[in-house]
Amino acid sequence: MESPFVRIQFVLNGQPRSAEFTADATALRLIRDVLKLKGTKEGCGVGECGACTVIVDGKAVNSCLMLAAQLDGRAVETVEGLGTPEALHPVQDAFVDRHGVQCGFCTPGLLMSTKALFEENPSPSRADIATAIAGNLCRCTGYHQIFASIEVAAARSSSKDRP
Amino acid sequence: MSHAQYIRPENLDEAIEHLHRNGPRTRILAGGTDLVIDLRSGTAQPDFILDVSRLPELKGIALTPEELSVGAGVTLSEIRSSDVLKRHAPALRRCSFTFASQQIRNVATIGGNVAHCSPCGDTVPPLIIHEARAVLASKNGRREVSVEHIASGPYSCALPSDEIIIRFILRPASDVTFADFQKIGRRQALAIARINAATMARQEPDGKISFLRFALGSCTPTSQRLPEVEDHLLGRQPSAQRIWEAGKILAKRTVAITGRRPSTEYKEAAIQGLFVRMLTPLVKT
Repeated sequence: MESPFVRIQFVLNGQPRSAEFTADATALRLIRDVLKLKGTKEGCGVGECGACTVIVDGKAVNSCLMLAAQLDGRAVETVEGLGTPEALHPVQDAFVDRHGVQCGFCTPGLLMSTKALFEENPSPSRADIATAIAGNLCRCTGYHQIFASIEVAAARSSSKDRP
Repeated sequence: MSHAQYIRPENLDEAIEHLHRNGPRTRILAGGTDLVIDLRSGTAQPDFILDVSRLPELKGIALTPEELSVGAGVTLSEIRSSDVLKRHAPALRRCSFTFASQQIRNVATIGGNVAHCSPCGDTVPPLIIHEARAVLASKNGRREVSVEHIASGPYSCALPSDEIIIRFILRPASDVTFADFQKIGRRQALAIARINAATMARQEPDGKISFLRFALGSCTPTSQRLPEVEDHLLGRQPSAQRIWEAGKILAKRTVAITGRRPSTEYKEAAIQGLFVRMLTPLVKT
């Protein structure tokens, strides 16, 4: 009898993991309900809001539109891997300083989109930022504080790199 | 609970073998951005999910003197960053700029966009203006079919279930002087097209149009070229008036196909307007 279960091995926030689930389970279900990492949010469930954004092999993806099985052998990063309450990631620091967070529901997705953007382009223009976060809806801030947060994070990291 | 089984073949032969035995009970997953939604809603209830996203045979963009080949597994992000497409299929590359979001472009593939057969698929009008053929593989070997003939209607794929699209062959746009893709959606980012269109043209130094392709999507059951519209401008130095007339023909022909609907009042004007906006750069002042 062929099994409807899928077993995968992958790296989650730097740690090797394995998991088992049914073939139709999404990556989002795996992350939230099996692995109990609740930072990644489900908003729309159809790829329009970006609240479920995680990074897979360096690229931002919607975990609601991906099967968990597609993560086999991949490196997955969720917001839990960014920083800790005591030592925030520089992007998280910038979101705090520039009020990039109001209700917070979209924030994990925005942080992951921003991290993926910086990995590709450490000093993005405002247009580059807009392209990178166009798939992340925020109903609170009106986006200005989010742009400011990302710009500050980019400026800080480039001044740190300077000799 | 779903009983579906997830299968990830190691190579194309394994995928073809699976489709040969289980085609009608299988859904192919390329990026998954459309299929996962259908699995979740129950619209798709396959016995097998065949994940072809890692097949090397479906990857890559290659140019030879005669043809441009785009793998069915090429993602929209790869299309966006391709220098070969920037030069040889600029309208196709441009469609990736307004295609969904970064998160979706990173996984969604051109093959999946075509095979899903949405009337609004953004890669289809650009493929049509390049007279693209899909290379299909099955147990019976390979064959080619024009991209225009893959969809038999909205969300209805004409391809047999034992076949898989492995790549697209395009006529390179090396000799064109102008190309564009535009769409109208409800907002700028992440909008499903209400109207989308691709065009490319060669304009001679005297302003005459010696080559023109224009394809319209989203407005008719399947995307298509309308030769009457192209013929209205071919061989001429187009005036603003002439382009306005060609846009009128396009809108009228589209309405003739769909019949008058509640949305026609808006769409008829918007189709003509989009055409005029796209082709106006060809007017020599």
